[in-house]
Amino acid sequence: MTWRGRIARLLALVRGRRLDRELDAEVEAHLEMAERDARNAGLSAEEARWAARRRFGGIEQMKEEHRDRRSVRWIETGLREFRIAVRTLGRAPGFVIVAVLTLALGIGATAAVFSLIQGVLLTPPPYADPARLVLIPSARTGGRPQEGPRPWPAAQWLEWQREAKSVQSIAAYRWMFDFLILPDGVESFEAMAVAPEYFSVVGLEPVLGRKFVASDTTPSAAPVLIIGYELWQRRFGGNRNILGQSVRVSRRNTPVEIVGVMPPGVRFLPAPNVAQEPNYDVNALVDIWVPFSPGSDAAELKRPRWHVVGRLAPGFTPGQAQAELALIAGRQARADPDFAGFTPRVESLTFEYNRDGERILHPLFGAAALVLLIACGNVAALLLLRGLGRRQEYAVRAALGVGRAGLFRQASTESLLVALAGGALGAGLAFAAVRAFQLIGGHAIPRLDAVTTGWPVLLFGLGLALIAATLAGLLPAWRAARLDPNEVLKGAGPKSTAGRGERRLLRAVTVAQTALTLVLLVGAGLLIRTMINIAKAPSGYHTSRILTMSVTAVQMSEAGFHRRALERVQALPGVERAAYAWGVPLTGNNWPMRVIIEGQPVPASAKEAIELPLRSITPGYFGMLGLSLIEGRDFRSNDDEHAPPVAIVNQAFAGRYFPDTATLGKKVWLLGPDKPYCTIVGVVADGRTDDLTRQAAPEIYGSFWQYPAYSKHMLIRTRAEPLSMASAVRSALREVNPNAAVEHIKTFDQIRNDSLAGRTFAMRLLVGFSMVGCLLTLVGIYGVLSLSVASRRHEIAIRAAIGAERRDIRTLILSDGLRLIAGGVAAGLAGALVFSRVLRSFLYEVEPNDPPTLLAVAMLFIGVALLACWAPARRATRVDPMKMLRCE
Amino acid sequence: MSRQHADVPYGTLDLLVLKTLETMGEMNGYRIARRIEQVSGDALKLSQGAIYPALIRLEQEGWIRARWGISETNRKVKFYSLTKAGRKQLEAEVRKWEQANALVARFLEAAP
Repeated sequence: MTWRGRIARLLALVRGRRLDRELDAEVEAHLEMAERDARNAGLSAEEARWAARRRFGGIEQMKEEHRDRRSVRWIETGLREFRIAVRTLGRAPGFVIVAVLTLALGIGATAAVFSLIQGVLLTPPPYADPARLVLIPSARTGGRPQEGPRPWPAAQWLEWQREAKSVQSIAAYRWMFDFLILPDGVESFEAMAVAPEYFSVVGLEPVLGRKFVASDTTPSAAPVLIIGYELWQRRFGGNRNILGQSVRVSRRNTPVEIVGVMPPGVRFLPAPNVAQEPNYDVNALVDIWVPFSPGSDAAELKRPRWHVVGRLAPGFTPGQAQAELALIAGRQARADPDFAGFTPRVESLTFEYNRDGERILHPLFGAAALVLLIACGNVAALLLLRGLGRRQEYAVRAALGVGRAGLFRQASTESLLVALAGGALGAGLAFAAVRAFQLIGGHAIPRLDAVTTGWPVLLFGLGLALIAATLAGLLPAWRAARLDPNEVLKGAGPKSTAGRGERRLLRAVTVAQTALTLVLLVGAGLLIRTMINIAKAPSGYHTSRILTMSVTAVQMSEAGFHRRALERVQALPGVERAAYAWGVPLTGNNWPMRVIIEGQPVPASAKEAIELPLRSITPGYFGMLGLSLIEGRDFRSNDDEHAPPVAIVNQAFAGRYFPDTATLGKKVWLLGPDKPYCTIVGVVADGRTDDLTRQAAPEIYGSFWQYPAYSKHMLIRTRAEPLSMASAVRSALREVNPNAAVEHIKTFDQIRNDSLAGRTFAMRLLVGFSMVGCLLTLVGIYGVLSLSVASRRHEIAIRAAIGAERRDIRTLILSDGLRLIAGGVAAGLAGALVFSRVLRSFLYEVEPNDPPTLLAVAMLFIGVALLACWAPARRATRVDPMKMLRCE
Repeated sequence: MSRQHADVPYGTLDLLVLKTLETMGEMNGYRIARRIEQVSGDALKLSQGAIYPALIRLEQEGWIRARWGISETNRKVKFYSLTKAGRKQLEAEVRKWEQANALVARFLEAAP
């Protein structure tokens, strides 16, 4: 068979009608010519016509063969089945609409969560062969708990680089934060300081320009940087002449030359030791890379300040690499006690990259799949019912010689069509849902900005449709195929009632749906309880009517900026009060300090020191947040560099370190035993500053004028809606210093909500999913019970005839419904006990098997489900025994 | 090929049609069928209609080409003619046929 022939045959599929017409014309002409020849040979007109026909042979058979030979048979048959199915479905628009919408809800939910998974978890970072990349964080030796993440000294990883066989290449990096000074304003950026070999290790090739080379880090080298694709597009309009241009960076005196542009989509590698920095965002796209070298200074080489990323040698596992590196690190620790106490761990980059996303997306995907299963249950029930109504039709077809396979094919083609329509509509719903997720879920899911909807989602939706068609359509199609035509045709008239077999199947489907819905409802209930518990949790401070923004004097030389800016903002109409704070609650920001406390044993080495978070604030901060002073005094504006250092501690601190003695007047060393101490001048009430779900831990507040911070927030208590003041505050700050960077403008309420974003997002989705599941299941229960009433009309009529009251009949039907529901609810509660555990990390002060939640959800569902039974029960009481029995 | 034409050896009809068109030039379906009947005498039991599935297939393969013309009874009808590719195909088929024939003949003539 030639290609030309194959293509022609495919074309014939669509040109079928025309080819048939042409063939008809040819046949007619043929017969005419044959007839004329026969007449010329001396036959009568009649004889000639018959002779021509006879010589031609069977016209219909020939046409059939013509069709077979000119095109592709199986497609042709498939198309015919398809046309028949479309026509049959067209006669039942109600059924089609309900079935398609039901499936679309299920498929839409699943495909929407899938598109998040696809964008967040399945899209690998843009490095070459990312599966072989590993992060090498540190752990304390001997399994001791680690108080904070500790990076590595260059002396250690440089040796690993030389010696490790299991790790092909190693590079170090650090996180940096700075400001770009451009003609049209100041923009903060996060940057990675990387060893020159970094790009080769992770496998990034610049789209423009070059990577770093070793000579970029020599002291005499001209400063260079590489920019990220997104910054290039955003700030430089994708200009290809960018190479060789210089930019100004706030903490450098000389302009820095751009030497390369990296591909899009490169995000930070984790630098957990700086996670408290206000601007640290590991999920952000990298804007700038600067070259860095550990240098050769012995003391500098020993400072633990590097994070390490490596590429496994082919054939090695992270476990083997960890064993080898631990061996080297152990030897290093024995040779130099400064290196003692820490051992490397080797973790797959993909694992680390996906951990947060998996934690929230996997349970949600499971929930969406449950919705889909429930939807499939409803469609299966609908198809079964439809099959019942069409038993006559099937029986006639079977009697006319359509085989079982044919009936099966017809029934499954219909369910496939319905499912595909549902899949297409569902994919559309998913597209819309993803947009909505991006609006409400920004802080809940990392890298949500990278999620796109497109072909994969559509294909996934259609794939789900195929699964749904199988799940929902197989059983009804099988029932259709094993129908006994004799049995059906003997039965009187078209029946719409169900036999025992069907009824049992439908009940099983409904029980399963109820169980799945219960699992969803329990999940939603647990998250709702969590949110209520968090709202009730005593945070210790309030968040309303407070505007926050990060304010930075980019040119550090401007000493008086902060005081003048604060005075200026305080004076704005509509502002009640303003303060600076380094370490605003719920931002994750604080300043981890190794402190020495009067009366506590002085630690033998720095490693043993107590590490506590320091927050640096200006006077009035406590009042603004509603944190009350228990004893002592607030900071004063003259607690500055000329005054003796002072500190305020929280109650948890006082309770832990001075349980029996006065806290006021005690000394605390923040910067080391040889540096001046601070005197504790106040004790402030506890606040849940790290996490609303965690009890307050000891913390120390310093005076901002004594512990100035480069990056910090300005907090402004406003009289009106906080965001309405944003532009006034911004322009006031610009007037004080046109180069001041004013960024991250948010209300304190927003910060609070962002800190709960994961839970809120999970709750909203689960509530939505369980509502959809509930609705579908109620429809299912209603349908099954209605069918049951219809099939039992005869029985009900007899009962009524022998004296059953309406109430008795209602009770009969309702208890039938209740049995159905109770079975599902019991199974669902059992399922919930198993599945709710996946939510554990989201829950607060409620256990996954929380009895009140389980009970409340079960009662609620039973109540609502009984309402769905009400209408069928009423219908049962309306059965008129006389009419009914006379009909028989 | 369906059962009622079993008497026409499988695949031979294509060859007969191609050969007919080569000898006679452009013809319509009826004339092709008649010509095959005449040449074969009564030896071949062919329903004339069988010619059409063969013709569409040959046309799809590009071995013959069809154009609409007017029949002797004044009707629109397709006239078929051999294409260059068809001529080559005919040669190939003829060769194949002859080889197969020769092979079978040798077997039949072979002394025990």
